[in-house]
Amino acid sequence: MAGGAPAVWPPVAGAGAGGAFAARCLGAVVENRSLGSLVWLTLEVPGWPGAVPGQFAMLQARDSGCFLGRPLSVSAQYGEVVSFMIAPIGEGTRELCALSVGEQVWVLGPLGNGFDLDLLTAGPGRTVLVGGGVGAAPFPLLLSALAARYQQTPPPADAPKPEVLVLLGFRDASQACGAGPLAGAAEELEAAGVSCPGEVATEDGSIGRPERVTETMWRQVRPGDRLAVCGPWPMIEGVAKVCACIPDVQVWYSLEAGMACGVGSCHGCVVTLADGSRARVCREGPVFSSAALFDRGCFDAPAGGAS
Amino acid sequence: MMPVRLGPLLLAHPIINASGTMEILDLAEVLGPDVLSVPPVAAYVPKTITMDARTGNPAPRILETPGGMINAIGLEGEGLKGFVADRLPRLLALPCPLIISIGGFSLDEYVGLAAGLREALEAALGDGWTAKAGLELNISCPNVHSGCVSIGSNPAETELVVGAVRKIWPGLLIAKLTPNVTDITAIARAAEAAGADAVAAVNTYKGLVIDRKTLRPYLGNVTGGLSGPAIKPLALRAVYELYETVGIPIVGMGGVATARDVLEFMACGAAAVAVGSAAFRDPSVGASLAVDLWDELTARGTSVADVVGVAHRPV
Repeated sequence: MAGGAPAVWPPVAGAGAGGAFAARCLGAVVENRSLGSLVWLTLEVPGWPGAVPGQFAMLQARDSGCFLGRPLSVSAQYGEVVSFMIAPIGEGTRELCALSVGEQVWVLGPLGNGFDLDLLTAGPGRTVLVGGGVGAAPFPLLLSALAARYQQTPPPADAPKPEVLVLLGFRDASQACGAGPLAGAAEELEAAGVSCPGEVATEDGSIGRPERVTETMWRQVRPGDRLAVCGPWPMIEGVAKVCACIPDVQVWYSLEAGMACGVGSCHGCVVTLADGSRARVCREGPVFSSAALFDRGCFDAPAGGAS
Repeated sequence: MMPVRLGPLLLAHPIINASGTMEILDLAEVLGPDVLSVPPVAAYVPKTITMDARTGNPAPRILETPGGMINAIGLEGEGLKGFVADRLPRLLALPCPLIISIGGFSLDEYVGLAAGLREALEAALGDGWTAKAGLELNISCPNVHSGCVSIGSNPAETELVVGAVRKIWPGLLIAKLTPNVTDITAIARAAEAAGADAVAAVNTYKGLVIDRKTLRPYLGNVTGGLSGPAIKPLALRAVYELYETVGIPIVGMGGVATARDVLEFMACGAAAVAVGSAAFRDPSVGASLAVDLWDELTARGTSVADVVGVAHRPV
């Protein structure tokens, strides 16, 4: 192309239109619903290829005062209509939470690895989802995917009824509104012949038991359970401490981390793994197994964990 | 009207990436293989290669700041052997030239890195390798605590390192300069005198951010490098002064986000322009910049060659 006009790349927004690849394109807000102190933001994203539960996207309001996008878990998707549960904790997320219907958002995604449904449902134990605060964000999509899976492959009639247990911890009643979007997906599971009980705790006791979700876990988690965990790093540490004391539980953690790009370029979002190596939360994660994160499955604080 | 020559390398247009801001092999897996067949830049610059594997700095490593961001990654990477064995062959398959950034902690390491890369390139491409791959000496990383930036802050040491690498490196040789010095032109003169084909300016500005809650330094490394649109006027001034100082081409960078930024760097004297932090926001921004630059030059009825350095001439 020397001497001529450079080729346009990618040819259209949506290199992955209908395919498996992520792309960056402008989405439009179709709903902004308040969930207490959180916001359920739904976008129409042209060419959205579909996310695996646990994957995320980099979101930035089109007319943003910020420089970079913000990594946000995909909470639900129906074709090209994609929802995100957002806590307005900083400038970028506050901008997103203030958007009105019709306003535009840059969306780069879906990104990261996501949860492995095969692993989460293998074995005789239950699947347990543990979320802290806005860490509940990936769970509506995860529950829907589990429901679709059990619909496609119903459990044998003579086997005990499978169970997906949801344990959520929030700061207060206002943040606990984030449990709302999980209800519909839980009904899908029940319809697929899977029981889906849940328990919500708040730190101030304004809804549910006055405790942290790690305390709920002591009562609820049993040997043989397989856990999908999402929340801030201190909660991840707390969950790891509990799980180190319960035999035969397997855990997959979805980590939060500050990142500039979401695609592996900036090396800003690293977490130190059990073997001392560093992994990028955006590329090798955001979901890491307990064995990868914590030595011998027990809790050791990684030097400078995800931020 | 768009091609640019940097030493023995011919670039289809003037837009490249800043080292450490684009993992093109990761992009190909995330965004699709089109990234490799039609790269978003005219030459690809990988993240700085060091002699030994490095795990980099502790987290947190990155934070958005007003009009940009600060980072302290600390030259994380697989080291020369890993790069040559794993990534180099795949990067040589790109349809564009490669400008390999190296960072050392001593003169010997710079020479060893250059020698190792030359050997690998000769083995892969034969005599024609200098038309495919160049070298950028990172003597300016603010986030490591020896070698590197301490070399690039001292004209005499800069001349020694550039001169030693020049002896064994016949391909394109760029010295990437730090702005964290009293007089960047003195460092550039030393690089030119030692035989550099070009200088790249600027690397990031050393800075510090405070954690709002704890009132302690936020970054694991305490200090970091500031980049993004906030530093553009500072970088433009550096490029402007370098153009008046050295006769070799300048690769300009620092806060480039739009084609207008590219034109401003070219007007100050940059023969090629690198996009850095803006590629974190949009990994294909290099391609959009090239298209927009083409439109801008066409609208003005001018060419890259006519724009470079125009800010130094009367209206």
